[in-house]
Amino acid sequence: MNVIFCAVFIAAAVLAAADPEAFLPALIDGAEQAAAACVSLFCIYALWMGLSRVAQDAGINDGAARALRPACFKIFATRNKQAAAAAAANLTCNMLGLGGAATPYGIAAMRAFERENNDFACGLLFVLNASSVQLIPSTVIALRASCGSAAAADIFLPALICTAACTFTAVAIYLAMYRLCHLSSRRCS
Amino acid sequence: MSLVIPALFIIIFTVAAAKKVNVFSSFCAGAGDGLKFTLSVLPVIAAVFMMCAIAQASGIADAATAALAPAMRALGIPEELAKLAIIKPFSGSGSLSLLTETVKEYGADSYISRCACTLYASSETVFYVYALYFAGGNKKGRALPLAAVAFSSALAAVLACLLCRVM
Repeated sequence: MNVIFCAVFIAAAVLAAADPEAFLPALIDGAEQAAAACVSLFCIYALWMGLSRVAQDAGINDGAARALRPACFKIFATRNKQAAAAAAANLTCNMLGLGGAATPYGIAAMRAFERENNDFACGLLFVLNASSVQLIPSTVIALRASCGSAAAADIFLPALICTAACTFTAVAIYLAMYRLCHLSSRRCS
Repeated sequence: MSLVIPALFIIIFTVAAAKKVNVFSSFCAGAGDGLKFTLSVLPVIAAVFMMCAIAQASGIADAATAALAPAMRALGIPEELAKLAIIKPFSGSGSLSLLTETVKEYGADSYISRCACTLYASSETVFYVYALYFAGGNKKGRALPLAAVAFSSALAAVLACLLCRVM
């Protein structure tokens, strides 16, 4: 990430020689978008973390995630109960298309994995979230319907196949590369 | 689908109240954790968003599109989609407006907009997710998952076109 960050900034600064006036506003605009994103992020968080704390204090979380937890112990190679439960909740919410609800659980699982130094699980959880497991592409269907599509929802099948194939590939590549790196040396970072 | 969330509230609040949990103070404690977390990711997201904004404003994104267009064409990806495929990992709102333009211009049922929709639905704003999930930790070993996701996003573009041609 450090390399990408430096490369983009230096290249952009070089290109900005043609139009130096646009450089600063673009940066400020980026920061403004970040602030706006964080405000909406907090709104989602206040709701879902508030609710999940209530559920946790009532002892509901333990029950709900118990079913998926054995699988998560295995997938993420972890022994941490809380981490596995959070990861299970993250994956479930993602698949149901509740993206906002998935994020807090994902971060909680991430922190727990970091605490037990489980780099493998951190990477895998990121790969699963960044390659987007989504069963119903609601945004796209709504957009097609509003633009007068004859059958707005017929995008469902190709989108499902495509997203499933990509998630599968991403996980497969990650697993293969992780193994390769850790077999040969620990230099791959 | 939209009934799930109200139902969740009813179940959780009733069970919690029945177990004599102080629902209000639990909720506030949770929301407080949310605030702490948001503040901790804000700097990272600010840096990443600045990078994305500068990549678009300086024309790096356009240059990359132009450079990759011949390769994309060879794989059967129209130029309009090349742009979407490149912007999607950087900016959610940017790619959504691009998608809306494409669908309006070519018509919702055309080959190009079907491809664009499939591509949009099957990829994520990778850099945002990256910032969010890896914020705080400055350990090594983050390049590997990023590379795996980058490859699968490229695959999504090719696959989206193939699937739309067949289906």
